[in-house]
Amino acid sequence: MLTAALVCAIGLLPWLSRTDPALTVLKARSAERTPDPATLRAIRVELGLDEDPFRLLGKWLGGLLRGDAGRSWVSDTEVLPAVAQALGASLLLMAGAVVVAVLTAGATCARTLWLGSRRRLGGRGPGGTGSAVLAALPEFLVASVLASVVGVQLGWLPALGWYGPRWMILPALALGLPTGAILGRMLDDLLPSAFTEPWALAAAARGVPPASVARQALRRCAPGLLPNLALFVVGLTGGSVAVETLFDIPGLGRLTLRAALAQDLPVLQTGTLALVALAALAALLARFGVRRLTGPALRDGALHSLHRPTPPAPRVVPLVYGLLLATVIALGLPRGPLALNTTDRLQAPSWTHPFGTDALGRDVLARIAHGALSTLGTALAVSAAALLTGVLLGLLPRLSGPLVDTVNAVPSVLAALLVTGIAGSGPWTPALAVAVVAWSPLATHTSALLRQERATLHLTATRALGAGPWYLLRHELLPAVLPPVVRHALLRLPGIALGLAALGFLGLGAQPPSPEWGLLLAENQPYVERAPWAVLAPAAALTLLGALAVTAAGGARLPRRRPKQPTVTVRPADSGPAAPSAETARHAVLAPAPTDSR
Amino acid sequence: MRSPRPHLIAGLLLTPLLAGCFSSSGHDSSSGSGSGDGGRLSVALAFAPAENYSPYGQDGIDLSRLGVVEGLTRLDANGTAVPALAESWSSEQDGRSWVFTLRDAKFQDGTDVTAKAVASALTHAAAADPAPAAISGVKLTAQAVGDDQVKVSAAETDPVLPLRLANPNLAVFSPKAYGKDGKVNPVGTATGPFALTKITGDTAATLDRFDDYWGGRAQASGIDAKFISDGTARANALRTGDVDIAEAIPVAQVASLKKATVHQINTARNTSLFLNTQAGIFKDAGLRAAAREAIDTAAVAKGVFEGYAEPAKGLYGPALSWAAGKRTAPTGRAKATSPKGKSITIATYSDRPELPESAQVLQQQLEKAGFTVKLEVRTYARLESDLLTEKFDAAVVARNVMLDTGDPVTVLASDFACAGSYNLAFLCDKNVDKLVAAAGAESDPSKRQDAAMKAEAAILGTDAVIPLVHLKVVTGIGTSVKGAVLDPYEREFVGTGTRR
Repeated sequence: MLTAALVCAIGLLPWLSRTDPALTVLKARSAERTPDPATLRAIRVELGLDEDPFRLLGKWLGGLLRGDAGRSWVSDTEVLPAVAQALGASLLLMAGAVVVAVLTAGATCARTLWLGSRRRLGGRGPGGTGSAVLAALPEFLVASVLASVVGVQLGWLPALGWYGPRWMILPALALGLPTGAILGRMLDDLLPSAFTEPWALAAAARGVPPASVARQALRRCAPGLLPNLALFVVGLTGGSVAVETLFDIPGLGRLTLRAALAQDLPVLQTGTLALVALAALAALLARFGVRRLTGPALRDGALHSLHRPTPPAPRVVPLVYGLLLATVIALGLPRGPLALNTTDRLQAPSWTHPFGTDALGRDVLARIAHGALSTLGTALAVSAAALLTGVLLGLLPRLSGPLVDTVNAVPSVLAALLVTGIAGSGPWTPALAVAVVAWSPLATHTSALLRQERATLHLTATRALGAGPWYLLRHELLPAVLPPVVRHALLRLPGIALGLAALGFLGLGAQPPSPEWGLLLAENQPYVERAPWAVLAPAAALTLLGALAVTAAGGARLPRRRPKQPTVTVRPADSGPAAPSAETARHAVLAPAPTDSR
Repeated sequence: MRSPRPHLIAGLLLTPLLAGCFSSSGHDSSSGSGSGDGGRLSVALAFAPAENYSPYGQDGIDLSRLGVVEGLTRLDANGTAVPALAESWSSEQDGRSWVFTLRDAKFQDGTDVTAKAVASALTHAAAADPAPAAISGVKLTAQAVGDDQVKVSAAETDPVLPLRLANPNLAVFSPKAYGKDGKVNPVGTATGPFALTKITGDTAATLDRFDDYWGGRAQASGIDAKFISDGTARANALRTGDVDIAEAIPVAQVASLKKATVHQINTARNTSLFLNTQAGIFKDAGLRAAAREAIDTAAVAKGVFEGYAEPAKGLYGPALSWAAGKRTAPTGRAKATSPKGKSITIATYSDRPELPESAQVLQQQLEKAGFTVKLEVRTYARLESDLLTEKFDAAVVARNVMLDTGDPVTVLASDFACAGSYNLAFLCDKNVDKLVAAAGAESDPSKRQDAAMKAEAAILGTDAVIPLVHLKVVTGIGTSVKGAVLDPYEREFVGTGTRR
């Protein structure tokens, strides 16, 4: 149903966005050709655009049933082989990236695993400034650095092309590192609860080797993450445009992006359909994996959570980050963000320009400071909206499951085009376009956690005591599910800021010379090797924001103030940009030893 | 550690099976056969074939740059038509038709280039729909006259027909290249020094030398062409030695190349600020003059293009070597009036990263002069329809003044005449129209150039356009490569003398 709606929406894209496909096709074929009426008419006749869109769509669908996905409007070549080829390359890249991501995730929670399996975790909070920084790094930055340092200057690995396994390493790293950091953070979030479960205590008492305990703890937590891993699989296959471009990989991301911009509907429809199919497959596998790991326990409601880990000790770290960010902003505000001076272009950091200057000789510090408010404002608003939507829809997994799979498979540019087509291009369109996609991983996370929580014994007990569904939701389910999801949402904040900027080239969102952070990154990207500071400074600001968000969620308060009582409400933190404090809510993602589930 | 998921293991096991998912490297042909000739050249081109190598669109340029195709004529450095497949030509019926005498040449499939084959090739091109840009609106017909002559006619007098025939759109292929469906298969059917042997989608192509080329055997034994759309990636390809020649290195990347590999040449491209003369505040010629006086083109050339562009002197830049000597001062300019904080929107596109930067420099210069300036930046495809409908007050646009016809007057007619199809300034001025029409009717090349310069002066006099810079293009050429062709009209790239 949803897939059908999506294909229909793509089929109607030109009519929704009120952009003549003949024109975009002509521009894709030959950018400099003047669009005179005779030429456009010839293209319209050639593509059969005079027919109404529904008949075009019907024809294409009819062909699809016979295994013929039509011919590309731009190149007039068959679509299916081209899409299959691109899908192959993308899947391979994705597989490499997932391997890297799993290793990164392992490294991220290695400390927790090591300590936890030896019962030395104590009240330690999540570490993870490092992984938060990694999670906030834009893919293109990692890719640029890898390509120019490892590929070009050191010459260790090929920096370009797609000719064999050796060519996979750098792009897979560029994609896998940030992804792995996010997955690792989510895992790290769950592990401490697993280690406080009775089976872990029992295992320790019986002298079960720590490695074995660690393995079982991972197994306990995996079901909460598998659905998200499935989302990443699809996202990496269809949405790695920046990396594909820089390493010149003929993948699906670039193919669909080009098709979306040229409104080459047969290619766009086939590419999206392939992604939707992949999403369905990945979701199925994830569901199967979850069932294998915890199935019987889920069915019997036999997961029990007796212990709740003590909230991690509040730390001063987030205050330091917050202060650092505030200082940067305060120092930059008196400076002029728009004053350009082309004789001072690409200056290295100095006393006059502490963060150097950009390609037009503007002070980078000033631009970061002035862009902070709008960037944070919009990104936070989008994050909050995504969080709200994600949690609400996550509570209704039957409804949201297929929706998530479909939405996640839609390339972000296509989503933006569809949103613009439907909502028009107002000041909030870019935010809407990003929010439309951003909620899906949060919903997945929510429903994954919820499924486990519903099967806990203490819930059964509460129910037996006569609690109604509302009471359960408010006092048991939400308190257990919200904190990890909120932390997840915060982890994605920098990504959202970047996503907003990425829509600029459609004429949506911030326009130059606005100092919005995403725009700063985008406009200085070509100079990343000559003037790394112009990219690194805004990237550092973003990662600082990421680190702040993550650590603040884990205890953003001065050490003397202790939470008195577990409460349900999510309170704003004492410092940091409205990072909800979450550790007061109870960790209850608990269950018996996985060995029970056989 | 964490046990990998089952489907991951499956994925890893499948990896060897998925080898087909990698691109084929194109290096499978005998590399450097060592017969005293140059080895194979590896080149990186910027524009991937969009239409499966159809010669009737932009892909024709790629075919021409790789030395695959030729027309009856070609453009020399001055922009005049010189012999290619045709040895000589003359006009008949007052320029309505032209008779071309062919040279002795062979197609890459071994057959002779006959008058019949050439006439049929041109007829196919004329019948293509949409019509190739070079002959759009011309109604070209071609017929063989004897064995070695072809008569090409237009519906109306066409003094620039030999220039049009230099366009790769009108390249000649052997009869077997033309399929029933109207498509042209360029693999091994053209006449140039290199023959396409293998096409790998729109990512790569393999070419071998064509030994029977009429202009002598090429020195390189073949070409491995890669299409790399990202400028940084092209620069990286050259730096790692993956390719010998990389075309169109973006200005931002030039500094990362070794000095000895950087080669620049003037092109017929300008970046200009077009002012909307029909709607908004720039209807007022005084304000257009104020904008012109506010703009310092040297700051753009140096600050944005890092010297890989020259401050503009007019519509025709140094790539058209005749222009500078024939230039006359603009006539009839209005006196500048104060903008008094009036607000304007300047549109530009991000496909060329230098354009948004230029626009920001202009923004500051204009704001200093008293305008209030807003920018609108999109990709070109998303911008063009709005550009052509008087939506913006001004636009920063890069434009090739030689266009597809290879004739300097065509661009005046399309960009500045009332009926022009790409009239971004929406200029409609009787005097300009008259002068452009007069230039278009002139058949003697030198007089045509004089007339074009007169029209240029009148156009600049209206201040409808403010030329900013004449662009140069940087080609990255590995130090071991000799004889690469730097063509200001961007139609040639690898020639018979290019070797490694």
